[in-house]
Amino acid sequence: MKRRYIATLLLLFGLSAAIAPAAIAADLTDVGFIDQSALGNLPAFVAANAQLNGYKNQLNGQFAAAMRGAKTDADKQRISLQFQQEFSDKQNELLGPLYQRTQLAIANVSSAHKLSVVVDKRIVIYGGQDITNDVISAVRSSAAIPQPQASPPASPIGFVDQSALANSADVKSASNQLQQFQAAQQPIYAKRFKDASGDVAKQQVMADYNKAVQDEQNKLLKPLVDQTKNATAAVARGKNLLLVIDRADVVFGGTDITQDVQNALNK
Amino acid sequence: MRVDDAIKRDPLYPQLDQLNNAIAAINFEASLPHAPLTPAQIAAQTKDLNTQLQAAQTRANAIIAAKQQEYTQQEHDAEVTAVKAAGIDPAAAGLGQVMNATSARQAQAAAVAAQQGYAEYQRGIIAQDNAAMQSVAQQLSRAADDKYRARAEQYQQNESDLSLKLAQEDSSQRMALRTQLSTLALSVDQRKSVNDQLAALDKKETDQLSSLRNADAQALAAYRKQLADQTSAQIRSQQSAIQAQTGAKLAERRNAVGAQLRGLGSAPVPTVSLPPDLRRQLGQIHQEYAAKFQADAQQAVEEYQATKSDLDAQFAALHGQGTTATGAAAVQLRALQKRQAQLQAQIQDQVQREAVRLAKQMGFSLVLDDVQAANGGYDLTNDLIHDLESQHE
Repeated sequence: MKRRYIATLLLLFGLSAAIAPAAIAADLTDVGFIDQSALGNLPAFVAANAQLNGYKNQLNGQFAAAMRGAKTDADKQRISLQFQQEFSDKQNELLGPLYQRTQLAIANVSSAHKLSVVVDKRIVIYGGQDITNDVISAVRSSAAIPQPQASPPASPIGFVDQSALANSADVKSASNQLQQFQAAQQPIYAKRFKDASGDVAKQQVMADYNKAVQDEQNKLLKPLVDQTKNATAAVARGKNLLLVIDRADVVFGGTDITQDVQNALNK
Repeated sequence: MRVDDAIKRDPLYPQLDQLNNAIAAINFEASLPHAPLTPAQIAAQTKDLNTQLQAAQTRANAIIAAKQQEYTQQEHDAEVTAVKAAGIDPAAAGLGQVMNATSARQAQAAAVAAQQGYAEYQRGIIAQDNAAMQSVAQQLSRAADDKYRARAEQYQQNESDLSLKLAQEDSSQRMALRTQLSTLALSVDQRKSVNDQLAALDKKETDQLSSLRNADAQALAAYRKQLADQTSAQIRSQQSAIQAQTGAKLAERRNAVGAQLRGLGSAPVPTVSLPPDLRRQLGQIHQEYAAKFQADAQQAVEEYQATKSDLDAQFAALHGQGTTATGAAAVQLRALQKRQAQLQAQIQDQVQREAVRLAKQMGFSLVLDDVQAANGGYDLTNDLIHDLESQHE
């Protein structure tokens, strides 16, 4: 039995940490999901990727030959950029039209089902509308796919680009410190590992090493992660969003709050 | 919901954690630097590895040959039964007599030898094929590079020639203007006028040269693309030709091996034509046993490949290139990884089932994992953990 969303209790929930589920269960019918791995297995994608791999192998040979002829570091960098561009151009040529068609299909199917956001199937535990088969049918059909009639409606589900947030100076610095810590600990635990006799003792050394790294990670990165989560929650409250997920899990639609979260963190 | 947190509180998780630590320990040990071996030790161990590889090949071929013999016999028996059930004499239907034990063993030994010989021939041909294709690709790429360089040099020469020609054409005019400049009697305006004329000469030459250089750069870019397309097409064509030749050689050898094996016993010529239903039934029997043989042969090949991978890793480690577990450690690692995958799947399925049940019971319409913020949602994780723990009390 679905329960109705009550505006007053929404406001109360926004201020409270623990509320009984009966009071805040929302009736979300505009969330769809798609199995992206099923799309990747379509014959057109498989064939395009096989062709791209063949081109890459050919390019590798030409790249190696060109690098052998390079005299300076500047030459090598120029050659690297040139070949990266050639590969990227080929990738766009082979896969670009397929991606465009798939995105159009997703947009059309979402519009037909009145969805405000489509997420990847891997994060869906329960609920949502599975539009995978509809999208696959649209992509596989020979007919042209029209542009959707309207943009998706405003979604109560927001997303934030974690990879963009991870590029901040603070996170990069903390990650570097963690890597240095790991590099420093490895020889210490390598010696303990060699001195350990038997599988049980060796596994204990591994468990100790993993715990040491995890403790250091909590010390360095957890405060930054908590800060980001608090900023995300605050921005989401300000925009009346029910949930915020990672950009990587969103296929179509949703409300992008990445810039707002970055601005909040930079204050 | 936080699925990872729920998995960590599953009663089976300590077992999974132990497996993870055991796997990490093996991988960690494999990555540690080892004491260097002497050349004699390396040579001895390499010889041992090659012996093991040969033994694995022989074993795989023997298994495949034995399975082929077994399924051929079973298929024959099934066909005889079907034909007899249709009231037709098997000999009249063209089904050969069952081989006696001695000739069957001889046939099996011959089949094994023929298979081994074919496998070695195949390896050699494919190695030659790969070397030839690589050589062709390198030669054609080098030839294309040479052509491009020659064209670029030619354009550079043209540009130098044009620069010289322009300088020569304008030299007398330039000389005259410079001579005027050296005259002390020139007024400021006159001097400016002469300088402007000199600058105009320079600009004219520069513009013409730049125009030629731009045209040459575009032509070179187009030529490069043309060469790349031609080279790709030539490489593809040559590779297709080499592969076609290789395919023909392998087919010829395969037919020879097949003829050799078929010559071990000839079937009687059929004297009656079989009804369509019986022909279909015999076809199905053949497909069924062919599929069984294929599955068993595939398993034998996979086991051989796993052994070969491990031996390759040991070889790499011998030459200071490997950081993966080898030998007995590799066998243990594979077993642990298999159990890890099974236990991980079991725990995840259980967590998923309980999460769905809870969601329905509590009246939710949507449950997502890996949520960054949930202002308007409810975190089911603690309820799920409590549920999982209570089931195992």
